[in-house]
Amino acid sequence: MTNEEIKRRPSNPWYEAGRRLLKNRIGLLGIVFIGILLFIAIFAPLIAPYDPLAQNIMGRYKAPSSEHLLGTDEMGRDILSRIIYGSRISLQVGLFSISIALITGVFLGLLAGYYGGFWDMLIMRIMDIMLAFPAILLAIAIVAILGPQLRNAMLAIGIINIPRFARVVRSSAISIKESEYILAAKMMGASDVRIIFFHLLPNAMAPLIVQTTLSIATAILEAAALSFLGLGAQPPTPEWGAMLTDARSSLQQAPWVATFPGLAIIFGVLGFNLLGDGLRDALDPKMKNV
Amino acid sequence: MNYVKKLSLLLVVALVVALFSFSVYAQEYGGTFVFGRGGDSVGLDPIQVTDGESFKVTQQVYDTIVMFKPGTTEVIPGLAKDWKVSEDGKTWTFHLREGVEFHDGNPVNAEAIKWNFERWGYEDHPYHIGGEFTYYAYMFQDFPGVIKEVNAVDEYTVEFVLENPQGPFLNNLAMVSFGIASPAAVKKWGEDYFKHPVGSGPFKFVEWKQGDRVVLEANEDYWDGRPYLDKVIFRSIPDNGARYMELRSGSIDMMDYINPEDVQSVKENEDLDLILRPSFNVGYFAMHQDFEPFDNVLVRKAFAHAINKEALIGAFYAGLAEPAKNPLPPSIWSYNDEIEDYPYDLEKAKELLAEAGYPDGFEFDFYYMPVPRPYFPQPKMIAQAVQYYLSEIGVTANLLSYDWGTYLDKYYDDQFQTYILGWTGDNGDPDNFLYVLLDQTQNNCGYESEELHEILIEAQKSVDKEERIALYKEAQEIIHEDVPWVPIAHSTPPLVKKTMVKNYIPNPTSTEKLHRVWLND
Repeated sequence: MTNEEIKRRPSNPWYEAGRRLLKNRIGLLGIVFIGILLFIAIFAPLIAPYDPLAQNIMGRYKAPSSEHLLGTDEMGRDILSRIIYGSRISLQVGLFSISIALITGVFLGLLAGYYGGFWDMLIMRIMDIMLAFPAILLAIAIVAILGPQLRNAMLAIGIINIPRFARVVRSSAISIKESEYILAAKMMGASDVRIIFFHLLPNAMAPLIVQTTLSIATAILEAAALSFLGLGAQPPTPEWGAMLTDARSSLQQAPWVATFPGLAIIFGVLGFNLLGDGLRDALDPKMKNV
Repeated sequence: MNYVKKLSLLLVVALVVALFSFSVYAQEYGGTFVFGRGGDSVGLDPIQVTDGESFKVTQQVYDTIVMFKPGTTEVIPGLAKDWKVSEDGKTWTFHLREGVEFHDGNPVNAEAIKWNFERWGYEDHPYHIGGEFTYYAYMFQDFPGVIKEVNAVDEYTVEFVLENPQGPFLNNLAMVSFGIASPAAVKKWGEDYFKHPVGSGPFKFVEWKQGDRVVLEANEDYWDGRPYLDKVIFRSIPDNGARYMELRSGSIDMMDYINPEDVQSVKENEDLDLILRPSFNVGYFAMHQDFEPFDNVLVRKAFAHAINKEALIGAFYAGLAEPAKNPLPPSIWSYNDEIEDYPYDLEKAKELLAEAGYPDGFEFDFYYMPVPRPYFPQPKMIAQAVQYYLSEIGVTANLLSYDWGTYLDKYYDDQFQTYILGWTGDNGDPDNFLYVLLDQTQNNCGYESEELHEILIEAQKSVDKEERIALYKEAQEIIHEDVPWVPIAHSTPPLVKKTMVKNYIPNPTSTEKLHRVWLND
């Protein structure tokens, strides 16, 4: 057999995992949710019935009707259109902030796990300190320093998620670095960089993918929380959390203004959580026969 | 015939007496009145604070030399029963009521008043401590400023000698900031006096649980008659909605700052009354001329044409406001009603922008305050609406905010390109709006006009009301032409009380004494 043929064999673990994921109902549901979310975000200008920023202050707090399917908010804006555009922001927050966390966290985790000793000590104690703070409190502190803006909120969420990634990568790096094939690679003169990126990192992929998916869910939630507190998206940005906060004062009189953005947050977060759960099952070698 | 006349006269007299005695009889003594408000007091030494929540309390504890007639800004006797002013307007003589005592039993006499003014005005006074004495410097221009000397002529006669005549002098003395404190108490507590206020007002201070409540009790010996209420409690409940829920459930008797959305439900509720404070404020959108392109008057005029004030009032004030065209509210004397406001006209606004050299618009920062104020009950929504109006003439405003304390600091620091803010007059004099907010030595929007400055100073020095009216009308024309702000609205701030609360007369200056309020249980 040639190398090519080995790669194509159905027993490739990634292929296996994909097959198992699709068989997993929960995971599939997650994929469907995220698919819908992506579709809405990409085609927002085509789907949205109105401009999400167009105000009509003569028509505030209109109940859902055929004209405005989800009603209008405190500025007379169409809630459906705002939720549709809001999906772009939530996805953007999830992807951008988790990319920061992923890249930094993986780098620090590999460094700590592979070299050990002083670097391990230094990096992981810093991570411990960051974990000692409640995540949202740390994010609030960071935004308070940088100034309340969506961009800074994304950065803050990225930063508070670094330790989780660093820990995951470090533990798998430690467990692998003493194994024989790494030793063999070293004997053949492979550089540290090569070993880290070609041997350690691929082996940490499975837990990383799960962690990433689940973290996107929490990132969306954290961004909504920061915006709810007035520290994230600034008006009139149609961010789901910010929409919730503005709806608070009219909760009794116009409950739909708060309800629909709330449901949108649930939908988005649930999608990524379900996919994360499905992926964890699919990528766990112990669950092979399920 | 004569007999019939006499009889009918007697009947009329009897009727009047009956009516009068009935109304007296109807007023009841006793009870505790709980007022729910949006925030706690900062301090209870009125000369050291500038916030309305502090003044609400100090208004009850202290008396001023003269005061405002309930519901107006007309000056009536207070601690002084009458007064006269010299020909040149520089010497004011006040005759005090006799036998008035502070809550600690010390007499309110000419010496006590002299001591208070010297404490406030002389920076080397041993009790010029505990704060910045902000309002003194504000109203009398520096320490000791306009007031050259205060003399105790005899036990009950006090004389003020001024550097030069000051038009608003008498109104200034009626301001709640200039409440007369017991010298003995100030000496006793020193720096801590703001927590232990002692005046001669209708209510005595009992306790202050910071962040929660201030408790006052009736002053049995008040010179204007014992208050009907036994006790007054001011409770701090920051959230407008929560405060309204407490009012409906009965744990408070009255509140201010209701959400405009809830106004309708108050009107429908039989147990609650909506009462309106006379409009005496202005909410405005300011453009700071230190920043480009707001140094260009055409840009500022364009903005004035772009904002639809009527629509804002309909949407965000529950209709309880009127559009502003001047910095002065219409209820104040010297209001210039001949000025014609810049009409809402987007085409005109775009033309002006193009003429100014910005046909494609520009981008700038726009700050809004985080807390509701009487003149802007929903600042965040109003700011978004203004932002949207401006987007229609092609300019992009980035909305930003800070917490209230920081917001005011940055405002005083001239850091905002554009912002919304407002003002409630506190002494009924136009000077308190025009000079304080727009004079080139005072304003925080980079507005410089030597012409306006001269008029305002001249009006300050004049004691001839007709002359002052003419000067202030002229000042408003200059301001209208220069457009340092777009004045947005003069609101009529709503208060909500239970129907059992009687005779609450809100004053335009936003605080009032409560000794004539009674409860009908």
